[in-house]
Amino acid sequence: MKILLVFAHPNPASFSGALRDIVLSCAEKTSCELRQHDLYDTGFSAALSANEWALHRSSPDTKQHLAEYFADLQWCDTLVFVYPTWWSAQPAMAKAWLDRVLAKDVAWTFPDGASRIYGNLKNVKRIVAITTHGSSKWVNAIEGEAGKRTLSRGLRVLCSWRCRFTWLAMYAVDNSTRYERNKFTQQVERRLMRMFHH
Amino acid sequence: MNVVVVFAHPSADSFGQAICSTAVNALESSGHNVSLLALYQSHFSAAMSREEWLAYHGETPALDPDVAAHGALVRNADALIFIYPTWWSGLPSMMKGWLDRVLVAGVAFHFNKKDKVRPSLKQVRHLVGISTYGSPRTYIAFMNDNGRRIIMRALRVCTGWRTKRTWLGMYNMGNSTSEQRDAFLQRVHKTLRELS
Repeated sequence: MKILLVFAHPNPASFSGALRDIVLSCAEKTSCELRQHDLYDTGFSAALSANEWALHRSSPDTKQHLAEYFADLQWCDTLVFVYPTWWSAQPAMAKAWLDRVLAKDVAWTFPDGASRIYGNLKNVKRIVAITTHGSSKWVNAIEGEAGKRTLSRGLRVLCSWRCRFTWLAMYAVDNSTRYERNKFTQQVERRLMRMFHH
Repeated sequence: MNVVVVFAHPSADSFGQAICSTAVNALESSGHNVSLLALYQSHFSAAMSREEWLAYHGETPALDPDVAAHGALVRNADALIFIYPTWWSGLPSMMKGWLDRVLVAGVAFHFNKKDKVRPSLKQVRHLVGISTYGSPRTYIAFMNDNGRRIIMRALRVCTGWRTKRTWLGMYNMGNSTSEQRDAFLQRVHKTLRELS
């Protein structure tokens, strides 16, 4: 299994950081190959630039500064996101990864005469999102789960048609107890171990 | 009315820029006091920093003076208007970063005795979102229109239930004609001129 882990949290010593460490340890225990994009740690730019916008329909060769990100995305078969949910969606840093790395002829193609884009990430067979929400599950349901749908629909349509989506979310984390958080981390570990073994 | 327009588009000669200029003109022609926050042009930093994250639950979460100034404008706003292109069915990271950093506790919401989030922007009478989409409307609906969900629903946590919401979407931009784009600009102008 080839895992690409995308991690976006400003503080590695946070609960999200602990969840990231679980992904790393599960991958190691099951001897899966893993590459990581630790966006804050590597100083990833959190906004698509004017230049990148102008090159939106150009080939990936024109975006050499993102070449490693493109290569990792095309290499992996499992995409794992770890981030905190803010305002019901990905933090700017994680959204910037989607805005900038999902580029033409990497994540999608636009054949001549086509009326829409076509997905190009046939290599991605599974998307996993591990996240925390400050508010409760029903508040998020009313708000429309924007972050969840961005990945389960917006991103998944670019991937393999058999691509599976796994949502591991802890709700109401603001008012949670240590016991509840431990229980969640154990659940995440169990799910990941089973997933990575296959 | 005090109107705050938040605008996120990287290019100065885009259709998004045309929408923004139209919106500001329409609002000023009706005599509103408009504050334009052009995030790309003012080099707003989109990512919440480690220091800000650590201060989030403290007394003064807005550490950056620019962020605090934006927060002060929002506190006095009677209408909030968001203008941006929809990317991957959601907000551009620049716009999302503005929400993450500016709308913090003490500005947009507060915690009650039971530690529940309660609105602090009840004076905001209008929430308006204006966005362009590359895809047709049915496709956007299937994707759940995530950017619109954030602006129109998640932000109600701050404004309360009585705020009027207006959404203007220009769909299928890639295949649009200049007549359609002009018609959309007129719609933006008319809607915002009549805002009261």
